[in-house]
Amino acid sequence: MSGQSKQSILERETTRRDFLKLTGKGVGGVILSFSMLSLFGCGKSKEVGGFALSKGLLIADRNKCTGCQRCEVTCSAIHEGKIQPYISKVKVSRNFNYGLVGPSLNYMASDGEYGNRLMNPETCKQCREPFCGNACPQHAIVSDPNNKGARVVMKDKCIGCGTCTKACPWHLPTVDPETKKSSKCKACGVCATVCPTGALKLIPWADVKATLNKNGYLLG
Amino acid sequence: MAKLGGWTGKILRVNLTTGVFTYEDTSKYKNLVGGMGIGYKIMFDEVKAGTKAFDPANKMIFATGPLTGSGVPCSSRTNITSLLPSNPYNAVSDSHMGGNFAAVMKYAGYDAIIIEGVSKKPVYLNIKDAKVTLEDASFVWGQGIYNSTAQIASRVGKEACIAAIGQAGENMVNLSVIMNGHSHSAGGHGGIMGSKKLKAIAISGTGSVKMAGTGEEWYNLNQYMLKGIIGANNQHVVPSTPQPWAEYNNKGSRWTAKKGLTWGAANEPIETGECNATDQNKIGYRTMKSTFDFGDVAEKYTVRMGGCQSCPIRCHSEMDIPNLEKFGVSRYASNTCMGYFSPFGVMFNGVKDQFEKGDAKMIGGTLGSQLADDYGVWCNYGNIGRDLKYAYESGTLKKVIPAEEYDSIPWDKLMNGDPSFLIDFYKRVALKIGEFSHMGDGSYWLAKRWKFGQEFWDSHDVGLWSPLGFPKHHSSEAGAQVGAILSCMFNRDAQSHTHMNFIGSGLPINVQKSIAKEKWGSETALDAPLNYTPMNEYKAKFAKWSVIRNCLHDSLTLCNWMWPMTTSPLKSRNYRGDTALESKFLSLVTGEKISEVQLDLAGERIFTLHRALTVKQMGTTDMRGKHDLMCAWVFDMDPDKKAFTPGTIKMDRADMVIALTMFYKEMGWDEKTGAPTRATLERLSLKDVADQLDKLKLLP
Repeated sequence: MSGQSKQSILERETTRRDFLKLTGKGVGGVILSFSMLSLFGCGKSKEVGGFALSKGLLIADRNKCTGCQRCEVTCSAIHEGKIQPYISKVKVSRNFNYGLVGPSLNYMASDGEYGNRLMNPETCKQCREPFCGNACPQHAIVSDPNNKGARVVMKDKCIGCGTCTKACPWHLPTVDPETKKSSKCKACGVCATVCPTGALKLIPWADVKATLNKNGYLLG
Repeated sequence: MAKLGGWTGKILRVNLTTGVFTYEDTSKYKNLVGGMGIGYKIMFDEVKAGTKAFDPANKMIFATGPLTGSGVPCSSRTNITSLLPSNPYNAVSDSHMGGNFAAVMKYAGYDAIIIEGVSKKPVYLNIKDAKVTLEDASFVWGQGIYNSTAQIASRVGKEACIAAIGQAGENMVNLSVIMNGHSHSAGGHGGIMGSKKLKAIAISGTGSVKMAGTGEEWYNLNQYMLKGIIGANNQHVVPSTPQPWAEYNNKGSRWTAKKGLTWGAANEPIETGECNATDQNKIGYRTMKSTFDFGDVAEKYTVRMGGCQSCPIRCHSEMDIPNLEKFGVSRYASNTCMGYFSPFGVMFNGVKDQFEKGDAKMIGGTLGSQLADDYGVWCNYGNIGRDLKYAYESGTLKKVIPAEEYDSIPWDKLMNGDPSFLIDFYKRVALKIGEFSHMGDGSYWLAKRWKFGQEFWDSHDVGLWSPLGFPKHHSSEAGAQVGAILSCMFNRDAQSHTHMNFIGSGLPINVQKSIAKEKWGSETALDAPLNYTPMNEYKAKFAKWSVIRNCLHDSLTLCNWMWPMTTSPLKSRNYRGDTALESKFLSLVTGEKISEVQLDLAGERIFTLHRALTVKQMGTTDMRGKHDLMCAWVFDMDPDKKAFTPGTIKMDRADMVIALTMFYKEMGWDEKTGAPTRATLERLSLKDVADQLDKLKLLP
């Protein structure tokens, strides 16, 4: 059994690499083409982001996001043992009211609950060349072989300086004001597991492969 | 020894007169749980009997509880306690709001915020974790809630959750709200903030709600609830249409998702589809509220559903109706239930279809809700429209409003079903323009001022439950004497949904009755709709359980529009929910083992404290004669029918006397007066309350 299990992990990594080649992107974070997304039941909207994580394809569909923030409470409960949306690795609440940019003169028609009602769920892209890890003065952000290659913060090395937060183009790694340690997404997918509308969806690589193969793409 | 989670342990006291902030330990209120319990104790201890709502000596308490922000489903409820200006005695009441505010308050580090004193100039309270400041609010004073919120957010940061009042609150209109998150309003206390010159509270928090249990335990208990116990809005547990997975269906259910029904205004329409009871990734689609509230026409204007932090049930409809801009409001609208129905009710002669067939209700509701929400006008649970109808049709308005003012009101719009009447209506009420603006005083004061006849009170169409001026809210139509008793208990419309969620679950009556037998000792605790029987002790137990759970939820805080989980959508559970779930979550989060029975005792304590507070403020123990009153229609409606015959909800006077006696007995209150006894207060660890009532000669 253990041999089989190892093989399937390798298989997934192959699928991920091929998937990235297929989508023509050199980094993990990709906005997928409409035709590609439609294969995974995501319609043709421009509003869907797809992120190739080590564990599977994470789909974040802002049209389906209702801003309930259950992803945030679950993420912090599972990873930190307390409920603290601020340090959740997936971010919804900070954009809830006025979108990514904050209130503007045209707030009534801009993103957010006070505007056009569109949410902006933000998820880690697990970049191949991670800005957060490259910038960390302590080299505390590394690829974790025990965690399917996801970039994780080594808490014992972290000094809570916040360089990772600033370096990340999306400011996703967050320093916990209570522990002074940074943390970031481990690509565990629990946020998607609990999303009450499937706005966050983690599709395992085995399923991605099967779907793509069925539709004439060759992977892995 | 497990660490104690749940509470932050800190209460912020803001004195607006001195500008001084002080901090108190929450632990002294621990046996009152939180939220409503904290609010009542502070009001009992600190606000003298006879104080009026807008007096500087009145206080207001924004309070959360140990489960607020803990990620327990449906747990971001803010409980606001203060004197209520629309009540004839200005007796204490609660108003509640969902949204994000309560959870963020916890993350900022506060279980409660006490507001006292009066500021000299308009201010807003700005809280960023431990940093608290009072800021000048002159730049938004006079503005509506939407713009005020955006303006304040542009100064304090986009993450801040802002609870604000509109012009109605500023002008101390009795019927005014406090609102956060665009559509989450607490009705009745907006004017208290206005009287204190407090425009808003902006709050952002980066901290945590601690829990004693592990993340995995928390996750597992959540999964247990989400994959087989939680239903749709109001804990309706069967779908409204036949579906392959469901044994039952019920047209009245809010589990309205079905094949082919979409959020039609999403960038790409999203199908709600059939939502199997165990599929947690579809819980948010179960309640398609827009078509439930407005009819089929609303489907294509639905962007999505929305709601409160941590709640998977999305009960607010988020709409995009471009034609709304023709009325000078945003094309986007959000609300639910009474937020939409009450403006439509103001248009008592109906609204004509505006742009397409069947859109009258939707346009009236979405236009009116934006106006009411922005001005911050409350509706007294929908009665403002029925007050208007009576005043107009009885000819009172023509008598009491000066001719020039009367002629300036666009009555033709009202009578012709033109919803733009609402633009004029809410403006007059919120800005206190002329005599007509007394519509915002609330039914009791309005009837007194305009000398309404007795028929105003006696009429089922007007719908007032109590001579104290508040309307029916899941009253005798909901569980006969059970709903009737609950409606007599508070100082405003009862906001108790415990019984209504159970009665409205959608399950067949025989299944409901079998659950009633397990919970309250007999199937006769519950009557079938429109087929009532005389009072019995099991109904008294059902009523008691309903109200103490209601108080418990407003203290923990959990949403009583969803909790308790009396039923389940699963046949494999025999449709039984889990009424111990609150205590399981509380034990897990706080680390202190507490049983369902112990927690219910805390609920009983909180509700009895409310009763003591009412006795104190009204200066009488005669609750039966002065407080627990019902309007005549309750007993005199359907003149051709007798009470307890099929087809009517008519009640019987002598039976309701018995009903109250049985309920008082269950509560351990004096059976003659309905006032709490010393023995009961002491049994509930409220000796200090008993001592104070004793001093005031207010013990039975």
